[in-house]
Amino acid sequence: MGASIPQLLVNGVALGAAYALIALGFVLVINAVGAVNFAQGDLVMAGGFVAVTITEYLTPWANDNLPDLAFIGPRASAVGLGLVILPLTMVVMAVLGLLFSALAYAPLRHRPPVSVFISTIAVGLILQHGANAVFGPEPRVGPPLVVDGNFALGPITLSIQQLSVIFAAGCLITGTGLLLSRSQLGRQLRAVAQDPEMAEAIGISAGHCIAITFALAVALAGSAGMLLSNQFFVAPSDGGLFMLKAYIAVTVGGWGRLDGAAFAALLIGVFEVMMAAFVSYVMAEALLYAGVLLVLLVRPSGLLRETIQRRT
Amino acid sequence: MIRRVALLTVLTVHLAAVTATTVNAKDAYIPILVPITGFIALEGTAQRNGAIQALENAPEGVTVTYEVSDTSTSPEVAVTALHRALERGKPVAAAASIFGTQMLAMAPLAQRAGVPLITVSGTAKLTELGNPYIFRFFPGDGVVKVAHARYAVEVLGAKRPALLYQTTSYGQSGQAQLAKILKDLGAPLVFEEALAPSAKDMLPALAKLRAAKPDVILLHLHSGPTALAIRQAREAGINLPVVAGSAMHQPSTAKLLSQAQLSGVCAESAASPISESDAKLVAFTREFRTRFHTEPDAFALAQYDGINMVLAALKDGANNAEQVRNWLASHTFEGLAMTYKSDGKGNMAHDALIVCYDGASLVPTIVKRYHNVDGAL
Repeated sequence: MGASIPQLLVNGVALGAAYALIALGFVLVINAVGAVNFAQGDLVMAGGFVAVTITEYLTPWANDNLPDLAFIGPRASAVGLGLVILPLTMVVMAVLGLLFSALAYAPLRHRPPVSVFISTIAVGLILQHGANAVFGPEPRVGPPLVVDGNFALGPITLSIQQLSVIFAAGCLITGTGLLLSRSQLGRQLRAVAQDPEMAEAIGISAGHCIAITFALAVALAGSAGMLLSNQFFVAPSDGGLFMLKAYIAVTVGGWGRLDGAAFAALLIGVFEVMMAAFVSYVMAEALLYAGVLLVLLVRPSGLLRETIQRRT
Repeated sequence: MIRRVALLTVLTVHLAAVTATTVNAKDAYIPILVPITGFIALEGTAQRNGAIQALENAPEGVTVTYEVSDTSTSPEVAVTALHRALERGKPVAAAASIFGTQMLAMAPLAQRAGVPLITVSGTAKLTELGNPYIFRFFPGDGVVKVAHARYAVEVLGAKRPALLYQTTSYGQSGQAQLAKILKDLGAPLVFEEALAPSAKDMLPALAKLRAAKPDVILLHLHSGPTALAIRQAREAGINLPVVAGSAMHQPSTAKLLSQAQLSGVCAESAASPISESDAKLVAFTREFRTRFHTEPDAFALAQYDGINMVLAALKDGANNAEQVRNWLASHTFEGLAMTYKSDGKGNMAHDALIVCYDGASLVPTIVKRYHNVDGAL
């Protein structure tokens, strides 16, 4: 059991990193429109299927045009293809985010937030049933980011895909943080999130900024979907699980806090894996919910308090 | 806006009228109430396809109408689907969910309405409730788990088996049967862990399993989790033989794994249509592929056989649900997968088989057949 601890930790961090990407998108939408996006989990699932579809188109091309790397592994022609598929998936998902914003949010913009979150539930169901109709109910395997397989580090076996997920998620989380804190676009997005009317008054188009926020949130969900689809497969019914984990991460991390959501998501990933390993899966789940209740009881605003404290 | 609402209303009324007309016709009515969304959609879709193929090939002189309702994954949805089917007409029988939790919820309603439920659910408890309207055409855990355990112990020589099973009623039923049979065979479980269907990372369970030093891994999981467990075990360097539940015989489960990962993997099942060379089964498989663009599995074949037995009852003169029930309870039927006969509790299937993957093909080979396991034939 002791020899498995490093791999368990890597798995926990990788799972948490993917949850963090989902939770970041979740917080971005909450901040931008003040409503919970209940389709976030299904958007993760959609990202997985987009990645599977792109892979099906790109693999024959890669087999014909890329050098034969058979010495690396059985699917050697596809080595590194995931590095192309990830940005392509994010672009497709960003376009889906713009559509989402135009169809499910914009018409309800001046209605109470409850209308928006019901609309997001509808979008989630459409995505789930659409995936079932188009791809069928069976799970599919997504592409690895770099390559399938493991490598041995002394007595420890580490998964290349899990390490790749941690690296890619780290880059995307850092990139999102930098975009929001250092760029003019990020400042505009934050301004609209804080006070859309004041932002409009100084010449920022709130509508455009909200659409961009949706695109960014959905692209992040899509990236998580792609990263998870290789190790854990993707099936039309997977959305609910991801949605739940994102919701818990945001609640524990602090509503509206990007850093809080990312931190809590990592914590949840590691907690789940280590508790399952040292106690049991059933207890891990029970303890996770007990932990959430405890946080809500002791620190209702989450581990990191919301700066403006609009919602807590 | 008002015109749109009016148009929608007219369309809705028209659709409702069309549906009512279809169902109220004098044909025998057989609703198909199966999960085609949710975590058990793969198995439910196979069930639906098997039922449809049987109904579309109804024998001459038997006219049947059918409609498909998705029961998803909750008992409430399944009960509502059965309620609706009963409101729409008097079914002579219903193809009912593979998901044991849903079957347990639907069973009392079916008994009150006097409608036989034709299912492929393996949950043992289902036929132990004394409900005369349940007919199970897939061998229950009391049959397949005997084959599962005996193959592991008697053929693979296992003495220290370890088990991963699902937290659902399906999983708990299989776990109870396996634990008892293995103990009786002198090879009690050295490790067991329940996993929720949503569990994705199996490494924690596999790490504990490895620490228990088993000599064979037994799996009683749904399709996706079965593939996840085998893949993650192989990636973690756990290359023990695996004897999995019936989900592993499904072609779509095998597709999730590489041939190397499938090496040393066996599974219990009622049948494996794609592995058979019998002419009738080959014809069934060919038609199934053409009709549904996918490979048939044992669930599809069992549901096909079950509905065919109902159609045989109708052809033999049964013309209402009660007569169909009596016919099912008292006759023997030669299906494509096996011979079906009720054991008095509604268990119609009594054979099981073991398939194994050789690591070179995604089509498994039938390595052992267990006939009349419970002695009901």
